[in-house]
Amino acid sequence: MTAASGEGPVVFDPADFGSIPASKELRRWMRKVRRGKADRTVWQQFEDIYLVLFALAMLGATGGNVVLNLNEKSAACTSASCGWLLDTVPLILVPVLVSTMLRVLLSIGPVSASRATGFWLLATPVDRASLLRPSYRLVVVVAAVVGALAAVVGLALFGAAWSAVGEAAVLTTVLLICTACATVWAQQIASRSRWALRIADGLLILAAIPALVLAFRASSDSSATNGGSYPVLGLAPLQSEPLLTQGEIRLLVIGVVALVLAVALVVITAQSLDKLSRQSVVAGGELLAGMAGAAITMDVSLLADVVSGRHWRMVGRLKSRRGRGSRVQAIIHREFLRILRWPRRLVIGFALLVVPYAVAGTGYDVLVPIAAAIAGFAATRPLMDGLRSVCRSVGLVRALGMELRDLRIAMSVVPAGFAVLWAALALPALGSWQVAFAVAAGVLTGVVRQASARPPSYSGPLVASPMGAIPPGLFSQPLRGLDLLILCLAPVLLGLSSTWILIIPAVVLLIMFAVTPKQA
Amino acid sequence: MTKAAPRLAVKGLRHLYADRPVIEDLTFTLRAGRAIALVGPNGAGKTTVLRCIVGSAEPAAGEILLDGSPIDERAEVVRRDVASLLDDLDFFPDLTAAEHLDLLARAHGNATPEDLVDTLLDDVGLLAAADQLPGSLSSGQRRRLALATALVRPRKLLVLDEPEQRLDTAGVAWLAERLKAEKKAGTSVLFASHDQALVDAVADETVALTPLP
Repeated sequence: MTAASGEGPVVFDPADFGSIPASKELRRWMRKVRRGKADRTVWQQFEDIYLVLFALAMLGATGGNVVLNLNEKSAACTSASCGWLLDTVPLILVPVLVSTMLRVLLSIGPVSASRATGFWLLATPVDRASLLRPSYRLVVVVAAVVGALAAVVGLALFGAAWSAVGEAAVLTTVLLICTACATVWAQQIASRSRWALRIADGLLILAAIPALVLAFRASSDSSATNGGSYPVLGLAPLQSEPLLTQGEIRLLVIGVVALVLAVALVVITAQSLDKLSRQSVVAGGELLAGMAGAAITMDVSLLADVVSGRHWRMVGRLKSRRGRGSRVQAIIHREFLRILRWPRRLVIGFALLVVPYAVAGTGYDVLVPIAAAIAGFAATRPLMDGLRSVCRSVGLVRALGMELRDLRIAMSVVPAGFAVLWAALALPALGSWQVAFAVAAGVLTGVVRQASARPPSYSGPLVASPMGAIPPGLFSQPLRGLDLLILCLAPVLLGLSSTWILIIPAVVLLIMFAVTPKQA
Repeated sequence: MTKAAPRLAVKGLRHLYADRPVIEDLTFTLRAGRAIALVGPNGAGKTTVLRCIVGSAEPAAGEILLDGSPIDERAEVVRRDVASLLDDLDFFPDLTAAEHLDLLARAHGNATPEDLVDTLLDDVGLLAAADQLPGSLSSGQRRRLALATALVRPRKLLVLDEPEQRLDTAGVAWLAERLKAEKKAGTSVLFASHDQALVDAVADETVALTPLP
């Protein structure tokens, strides 16, 4: 630093500061400083790692066993329709996977950094690409793992042969790695991101076509299940085949070529990380921090709040639409306008109608009501943002001048109409209007209960658990809503009479809207 | 002739956080068209008093009467007559500033609030931001919108916690004039404030609170 002579201002000469440090040096320095403050012993850290590895091994073993068993059962089906089903599944699975990956990755960046990193490191002349590389690597690894797992589980469940599962896993992994690289490229310019989101929407529509074909062709093909045969599938044939069959050689070649391409793309994309703006990476970091907070408290509703809050912050400005009527009528009308404001949610909600039809098409009739209820839940839950807003804000309820119970009823009217319409449209797949009523009631009570959920309270007494002290109700938090859904569907699943199928959901509905919810 | 009950009467109010008293034996009355300012340092219990009045906190002892009847935020008459602005107000992330005010006015029974909303947006300096969503408003603009929520609906008692927060000098001056107009219209105003100029301009009385040991 060179000070000017006399009492003039201090003049800084960049040459006095030396060279800009490499990001590795900075990271090493931060690691050293943090280690100096660490209060956990090596043994404690080892225990944590052991717990994580043990949990992963348990989950892997259990999940793997379930997949193997289901694969054996599915592979036993030798009919033409089973084989046809197996041919159709990848056509649905792959576009849905790529679309979801595009949407999820673009919503978090995909390359992200915390606000602190953005302020203290990314604003410095240190090489930005190098600073962002760890986050980029994580994105690529997550995409690869998701791709491999989705392909293995998706195809194995439908009884695919081992070679087919392996081929699908390699190709899906490579495809999702390429998707991740594409999102990093799209992150550099806002217009690219918008185009990528449009492509994601297009892929969803593309996935709906084979799903619809599956749903509607299944009924006309039902006679074929007793007819023509299809080669026996499953994981077992691996042992009876020669060491390297023609198919395996093809898999090897395709796998190597695809992997080389993926690695090349990953390396090329890594070179462009310095083109990412600070704002684009920090926005994702903030979203992740919010989502991590919600995940720690296992608060599904808060998770949805974080995502929807970010969406509206990015929208920023809208044309105001004045309401109609007064009191309850005004609230219902406003909810109607509010729901129309995000039409993509409605489109996806109606697109989910494919699920009950597709499940009915596979012939697993017993699964249709539960699949319909879960799809209906996923379709209706995003429409409950209004109720969620009033349930988390005492001030808002006070300002609106109504009891929370009355507000809950008023704000549920439009989603209830949607749930009823949705169940009615699923009626041909569900089979009877009583089951459709149970599904609609289960969906409505479930989403209302989840949207009204209070966050776990850390102010009261905690409960002892193997993981330490936790607030009461922490683990039941993700199940809120789904419990009522199951309760309403119980008479259907247990095969009770039509009377019970109507009475139990009706009672659940009555109780749900009669009680006064507790405020946050 | 019987004397009308005061708009708000607080008698022997006591509030505890865990075992620690934060308010002890607080008594005051507020008549129609008058204003009381709660003053005191941070931690003196100003916000807690307001929270007890609007029903967000449960007093350990004492009585709070609105027009001679015990105040209970579950009663429709209380929700109709008491307009409050505390720090617990949140917004619908997908409704614009104008739509928030429109909804609030309608929820309180005003079926044609368009002109009122426009006037109020103009008053609080948010006309240009009428179509903005809350997430895109600055903290000062959000505060102005919050103030407007208390003014777009019918009210007999205004309860405000540091209403001058995040307002610029012109905004505080506007607020003082607005609260004086509210008093003239017969509304009672109870507010906590650290702004001596606002207190001097609006309050007819002050209640000084001090942190309890």
